[in-house]
Amino acid sequence: MVEILQSVVFGFQVALQPVNLIYCFFGVLIGTLVGVLPGLGPAAAIALLLPTTFKITPVSATIMLAGIYYGAMYGGSTTSILVNIPGEAASVVTCLDGYQMALKGRAGPALGIAAFGSFIAGTFAVIALTFVGPLLSNVALAFGPPEYFSMMIVGITVLTYLSSGSMIKALIMAGVGLMLSGVGMDTISGKYRFTFNIPSLLDGVGVVPVAMGLFGISEVLLNLETEINRDILATKVKNLFPTLKDWADSLWSIVRGSILGFFLGIIPGGGAVVASFASYAIEKKASKHPEEFGKGAIQGVAGPESANNSAAGGSFIPLLTLGIPANPVMAILLGALMIHGLQPGPLLMQNAPDLFWGTIVSMYIGNVMLLVLNLPLIPIWVKVLKVPYYLLYPLILLFCLIGAYSLDNTVADVIIMLIFGILGFLMKKFRYDGAPLILALVLGQKLETSLRRSLIMSQGDFSIFVTRPISLGFLITAVLLLIVPVITQRKRLSTLEEG
Amino acid sequence: MKDKTDPASGFFWLIFSVFASYQSYQLGLGTLHQPGPGFLFFWTSIVTAILSVAVIVISLSKRPPEEAQQPAFAKKNVTKIVLVLISLFFYALLMEPLGFIIVTLVFFIVLLGMIEKKRWSFAVLVSLIVTVVSYLVFEMALQSQLPKGLLTFLRF
Repeated sequence: MVEILQSVVFGFQVALQPVNLIYCFFGVLIGTLVGVLPGLGPAAAIALLLPTTFKITPVSATIMLAGIYYGAMYGGSTTSILVNIPGEAASVVTCLDGYQMALKGRAGPALGIAAFGSFIAGTFAVIALTFVGPLLSNVALAFGPPEYFSMMIVGITVLTYLSSGSMIKALIMAGVGLMLSGVGMDTISGKYRFTFNIPSLLDGVGVVPVAMGLFGISEVLLNLETEINRDILATKVKNLFPTLKDWADSLWSIVRGSILGFFLGIIPGGGAVVASFASYAIEKKASKHPEEFGKGAIQGVAGPESANNSAAGGSFIPLLTLGIPANPVMAILLGALMIHGLQPGPLLMQNAPDLFWGTIVSMYIGNVMLLVLNLPLIPIWVKVLKVPYYLLYPLILLFCLIGAYSLDNTVADVIIMLIFGILGFLMKKFRYDGAPLILALVLGQKLETSLRRSLIMSQGDFSIFVTRPISLGFLITAVLLLIVPVITQRKRLSTLEEG
Repeated sequence: MKDKTDPASGFFWLIFSVFASYQSYQLGLGTLHQPGPGFLFFWTSIVTAILSVAVIVISLSKRPPEEAQQPAFAKKNVTKIVLVLISLFFYALLMEPLGFIIVTLVFFIVLLGMIEKKRWSFAVLVSLIVTVVSYLVFEMALQSQLPKGLLTFLRF
């Protein structure tokens, strides 16, 4: 306990350094902006801005990139409520009741409760992270290659289980991602694989250009096809502070959303999107007036908005303590840490305590900044929304082009990004989810190394994965997740959405 | 209406998997004691091949979901998307020989003036502003080392 308190104090010393404060501010500001802008999610934004962090210290870089993620959770709600267009996926459910509240002239309280709920949930998640993080880190120190292998298998399976649409397709995507991770040099034998004599493939396919293509370029292409229509609500936003009755109505929704979101955030494969849908379903079940949902129930805004923020905080746990990203955004952040020469995992806390505690504590500060920033700046965000798309999409494309090029100052990354942009566009058309591909691509090398190390350890005996209890537990979970949908109807996000 | 998208995509991934499994086999599977460089990918591609067949079979036997019943591509904006993609590839291929400033300027003029059909004066003005500001931000402030290309002699 004393140790944790000392660490938190140390974290504050790091996070309160002026330079880190500035980067934290930039992070949450850019995050909110990204959250507000439809068609540009936190994954693409972090990928885009990653090259801009090469000149700063890893601590400042992580603080800023983390800020973009949880900042986007705040910003996303603004567009959901005012325009009925979710700024990013985790705010889709907020549209259901948030926009209805706005239509009834209650846009102010809706925005207010979303911001306060996010603040409470975000703070809760960070406090929980402070305590659970070191605990899990210690457990993970006991993990050997077989445990890591099984854990990554669970992570990928959970993500395919939760992904939208067909689970078979999601599994194919995970397989494709795994194969992509094999491109380049094999670290064990030194052989080059799948390079087809193309020099730019010798170093492998980078996660960041692939993510920029799948989540950035492809979104723009999709939006070009549909031509977003935006009717911004003309009513003035007033009374941002929810009334006492609003508070009484939504307090428990915020509490439930915070706890649920945190745990869904920790589970590899879970995350903010799932948390927001699950919270909405629970709030509707718990409510005495479920018929009000979809017609402007404040609980339908408070619950999911708290859940997605709490999940954003929770999803840092597997990344910082196990080195396992829980979702695509964390996958890119993992890539970022590795570019900065850090190896996320159980040793991160010992090897780079300034990064570990600095980042966690910066989230407390970031949450305060967001609350202060968000409410008064809402009129500005509404103005940002009025920027016409014909100006916005060339800018997004330009940022993608510059971002991909600056990764390594090579055109090869730009071409990879564009190819995956087209692929991502087609995948959306054919209803394939890109998230499992990214996760498998990030985990691929580790997965392969741990598999081969385990087999060398056991002298080719596969039973090593089932004779070690922790590994067995992980594998049973994975098998259950694969079997359950075959036996019963899989509970999809879409059914949660309807229910 | 029959769903044509799933059999098509399933077939694509099947071909992809077969190709990948052949490539991995060539790399060497090794033994269980000493798994070779192709080991994991060979077995992964076998699994994805089976899953691709499953996608095809299911799509042929089941009624397609509602969203699959609409044509996959709205004809209206296909030309626009293709044009934007062509400009993107040109940007990528020309950014090193011509340099950031020239390609960005031309890219924006093409997007705004030709593809979006805005007034030329407007397109040129916006393109100039964007090019200058992005150069200042990325090259000067963030030191991104963007390619100078033809303008190397300017040394700014």
